[in-house]
Amino acid sequence: MDEKFDAIIVGGGLAGLASAYTLAQNGLEVLLLERGDYSGAKNVTGGRLYVSPVRDLFPDLWKKAPLERFIAHEEVAMLAGERSLTLRYSGNELANEPYQSYSILRAKFDRWFAKQAERKGAAIITKTKVDDLIIENGKVTGVLAAGDELKADVVIACDGAMSLISERMGIRSPGLPKDHAVGFKEIIELDPNVIEDRFGLADGEGAARLFMGEVTKGKFGGGFLYTNKESISLGMVVSIKDLMEDQDVTAPELMDNFKLRPEVAKLIRGGQTAEYSAHVIPEGGYKALSKLFADGLLVAGDAAGLALNIGVTVRGMEYALASGYYAAQAVIAAKEANDFTASKLSLYEKLLNDSFVIKDFKNFKEAPQVLDNPRFFNHYPEFVGNMMKDIYEIPAGSKDRLYPTMKKYMKFGELWAMLGDLRKVMKI
Amino acid sequence: MNIVVAMKQIPDLQQIRIRNRQPVFDDVPLTIGDIDKNALEAAVNLKEGTDANIIVLSAGNEDVEDTIKEALAAGADEAFLILDDDLEDAESSQIATILAAGLKKMDDVSLILFGEGSGDNYSGQVGSRVAELMDLPQVGYVSTIEVNGNVAKVTRSLEDVEEVIEVELPAVISVMAGINEPRIPSVTQILKAGKKPKEVLELDDIEIDLGAATIETNSNLAPESDRKKIVVKSVDELVEKLTAENLIGR
Amino acid sequence: MGYVRGLKKGDENMSEPLGLKAKLGLNVFKEDKERHIEIKAGFEKDPRLIRAVYVCPAGLYSLNDNGEVEFTIDGCLECGTCRIACGPEVLEWKYPTGGSGVQFRFG
Ligand SMILES: Cc1cc2nc3c(=O)[nH]c(=O)nc-3n(C[C@H](O)[C@H](O)[C@H](O)COP(=O)(O)OP(=O)(O)OC[C@H]3O[C@@H](n4cnc5c(N)ncnc54)[C@H](O)[C@@H]3O)c2cc1C
Ligand code: SF4
Repeated sequence: MDEKFDAIIVGGGLAGLASAYTLAQNGLEVLLLERGDYSGAKNVTGGRLYVSPVRDLFPDLWKKAPLERFIAHEEVAMLAGERSLTLRYSGNELANEPYQSYSILRAKFDRWFAKQAERKGAAIITKTKVDDLIIENGKVTGVLAAGDELKADVVIACDGAMSLISERMGIRSPGLPKDHAVGFKEIIELDPNVIEDRFGLADGEGAARLFMGEVTKGKFGGGFLYTNKESISLGMVVSIKDLMEDQDVTAPELMDNFKLRPEVAKLIRGGQTAEYSAHVIPEGGYKALSKLFADGLLVAGDAAGLALNIGVTVRGMEYALASGYYAAQAVIAAKEANDFTASKLSLYEKLLNDSFVIKDFKNFKEAPQVLDNPRFFNHYPEFVGNMMKDIYEIPAGSKDRLYPTMKKYMKFGELWAMLGDLRKVMKI
Repeated sequence: MNIVVAMKQIPDLQQIRIRNRQPVFDDVPLTIGDIDKNALEAAVNLKEGTDANIIVLSAGNEDVEDTIKEALAAGADEAFLILDDDLEDAESSQIATILAAGLKKMDDVSLILFGEGSGDNYSGQVGSRVAELMDLPQVGYVSTIEVNGNVAKVTRSLEDVEEVIEVELPAVISVMAGINEPRIPSVTQILKAGKKPKEVLELDDIEIDLGAATIETNSNLAPESDRKKIVVKSVDELVEKLTAENLIGR
Repeated sequence: MGYVRGLKKGDENMSEPLGLKAKLGLNVFKEDKERHIEIKAGFEKDPRLIRAVYVCPAGLYSLNDNGEVEFTIDGCLECGTCRIACGPEVLEWKYPTGGSGVQFRFG
């Protein structure tokens, strides 16, 4: 085909769709290629999208979007061997509009988002994998897909955490275990009434629960649960490095044991698993971000490493949406100037730097290093669990006074180590 | 010369799951039946080197307009669609009436191709019914087609014989599953498909009497079979039980 | 391993975990013409392959009696974990052909 596009987008996840939507809205000719049967067919998330930071970038989008439930109740449970401690949080800002975050299912959301981008005029072709970039004189001029040569002024790589496209361009090296986690999850179907009763939810409300401690056997990571309309997303995020180095448990075994924990089992009781999915997650933070642009190429979303793992919550979706949007803005400016060189496209990096995206990454710069400390995932939950047991347990004999109980846990060495960890946490 | 290929929109069967013993159709992507794709591929092969024009004909709900792009990308030249959301559950006789009415609006049709059965219900009636309504000859179970002038030479592959038949055109031909490998369209072809001509009619435009539905579906689950649940611990015991059931050693 | 066995069972609240094969069987998989992951020739005995046994969420890598890693592709979730753990030197890892492989209904 002699037709040349303004932009070709590789991958129809959130980053790619945000780009396609924004470019089409501004009248550019855009082609998006997605290898799945539909957008979302290959995409996995835990399930919580923070809408607040990206609401204004896509003002028309949210009213009809297929979001599941707005998150009104938060819980973090620290699980030790045989006991657990749960912190529960409900605040006004969670329960009032505009809601801060929602649970979502990607196969539903992405497919719908793709339709919106098509309505704006984007050409979206599914079931088509991009096999290679066309590079002429060091500049990207198009892609090869299923035997077709397709040309464009700019290619935007939005191909997810394992971005073979940016590896191909040489602006990213193959991912390292220390910078990645693996996430796996089950969709467990339950009657909406049961979900609402079990989690104490009012109409439309949803719950988010995080689990840390024994569930990962001390590995960096944790378990998560989000309520959807008619199902629960239950899964885990675990450091690949820890799993492969410890070699004491396999990923599927961790998941089975997680489901068997009484704290979890009672929440999913009677549910039917309907799907099992998994995906790698970039979690190297600011230091592991890859180069964001080259001549004729931009990289957005997970493909650029734009996901953060701050302890047990992963954030990547808002960054994917926002980076897709800013990549589109840079392309629009490049098109106006008819200049698609790296130096012109570097506007993208500037826009990202000024946005919440890179600010967040800088704020959490230390997170991966600090949290890569088994004490957080192993020792503290055990420690706190034991302490609470001693506080709450009424033994057959007399109960110790509270102060000596506490003191037992606050031995000097313990305190010192804790202080050290605390200091590091303050940097996050 | 126009070759018409009748194609039906169906749910992607691999995406249907069963929940509480009922199929779940929510969010199941739509596609075109595999045998219909064989019929289209046969038409594309016939067209090669001729000036024939392939028209894909379909009746169904509004989604068909989107689904039919698959056929336009895979070689059909234009689409003729009769769309109404009530047609989603229409039965074979009603669909045949509509398709025949659509065909009557076309000129110079020499060949009307069907798949031998649709990908979902597989009632296998629509081709024959259309032939009857249009008073045209019909050949079923066809595996090869050759056109010479106004005669088509076709092979019917039956269970234990192959029949070679000549039929005068125009005629209705239903092809068997798997007679060819339908091509997978390239990106360029998919992009071009969106620009191919489409004629979209509503039910009112074809002025027909659909008649009331006459078929009621009670169940489409596999019949439940009672198992005897006999547990054996050794081969000897197995032989004994099978003999007792009169299944061996007669 | 054998971690599951270490836990107390029998609580009526616990539903037995679904076997991994059965769990994968719930997903939609579309057949591909070719295998999208291969152990590279000459690396069949590479020690790095053991890592995949622990990290693969679909349990597609296993140790056989000779201590060698065996791999089957059926049920691959295309998550990429094995490539990150073992490295592209050991595994030839591509995405499957467009329209094939796993298709999530929920995601
Ligand atoms: C278990 C888990 C839990 C998570 N929890 C959360 C959470 O609660 N909140 C949050 O914000 N984030 C979470 N994340 C992270 C979040 O899901 C990702 O950051 C986000 O999906 C990234 O979006 P993306 O568009 O960059 O990439 P993706 O969604 O991965 O999209 C990439 C797309 O590119 C396509 N593609 C790839 N290669 C090609 C090719 N060659 N040709 C054509 N198409 C191609 C893929 O099919 C896919 O559609 C979680 C992730 C996981 C795995
Ligand atoms: S891609 Fe994921 S599911 Fe597939 S083999 Fe590798 S680790 Fe296992």
